[in-house]
Amino acid sequence: MICLNKNEQGAELLTGYLAKTLDAAGMAEVDGHIQECADCRGLVSVWGKLDEFAAPEVTGDFDARLYARIAAEDARRPWWRRLLWRPAVPLVAAGALVGLGLLMVPRTPDPAKQANQMDIEQVAQAVDDMDLLTPIAQ
Amino acid sequence: MEAAAVLEQDAQLMLRVGEGDDSSFALLLERHRGPVVHFLYRMVQNQAVSEELAQEVFLRVYRSRSTYEPTAKFTTWLFRIATHVALNSIRDGKKEKGHESLDVETSDGMERQVADSQPTVEQELVQNVKRREVRQAIEALPAKQRAAVLMHKYEGLDYAQIAAVLSCSESAIKSLLFRAYESLRGRLAHMA
Repeated sequence: MICLNKNEQGAELLTGYLAKTLDAAGMAEVDGHIQECADCRGLVSVWGKLDEFAAPEVTGDFDARLYARIAAEDARRPWWRRLLWRPAVPLVAAGALVGLGLLMVPRTPDPAKQANQMDIEQVAQAVDDMDLLTPIAQ
Repeated sequence: MEAAAVLEQDAQLMLRVGEGDDSSFALLLERHRGPVVHFLYRMVQNQAVSEELAQEVFLRVYRSRSTYEPTAKFTTWLFRIATHVALNSIRDGKKEKGHESLDVETSDGMERQVADSQPTVEQELVQNVKRREVRQAIEALPAKQRAAVLMHKYEGLDYAQIAAVLSCSESAIKSLLFRAYESLRGRLAHMA
């Protein structure tokens, strides 16, 4: 068998074998190869050696320090920017603008209301005319 | 199926942070604090610096809350930020010279635990030498190879994720990883 080290597909098989992401057939193929190939066996053994590099636990006050930095950063921002990021504020502001716009649009008169108003004016005019005519009749 | 339904849980949490839900940020922090700090620790090999950098990572996450768009897996996005921060730190030479001794106490006053139960002094010395050699071998890798190995070996990211983090093609990542493991094999060949 040609050494897996020597071609791109073999390299992919070996790294997949290390991360255990190969299917059963792929794992078996590499298993068979590393029995015979010292170079590839050496490469596979690297994976185990890396386990020696343990990382320490995160210190207990990590979150507290982070939240303090967030609070300090928030406090430094101007009040209007602090408001701006809150999702409700732009919505309210947009609603207020739409409302204001609606108030400012000139209203077209309601024809029925206008007709009704005309009738009243006509009646009033008629009554006035009658008042004017009454003394003459008398 | 609606787009929101297929969003991974972390991405949903992040979107909720954007809506002002701070408890979702606390959940994300709880889930990813360890992996991010550990990744950065292995990158810069100094606990204090790694935690400072991790704080910077989570600050950037928090700052991005209102503009976040779930175009990739959350962990891919998070490790992209972490890698960027780590590479900048390495480039700027922020890392303190000289490694922390593996024998020193951690900042919470606890002595670092050794995996074997009650090892002899000799076993402990041998173990420490092995750890130092592995650390040095990883540190000797070029920064990009180092980041790829750490994400592949310790954080369980797949090729596609590592490729997205490092802005490379998947095939480039496979060959990068292979070269890195080859280099580590050469440096650690003497270790039993």
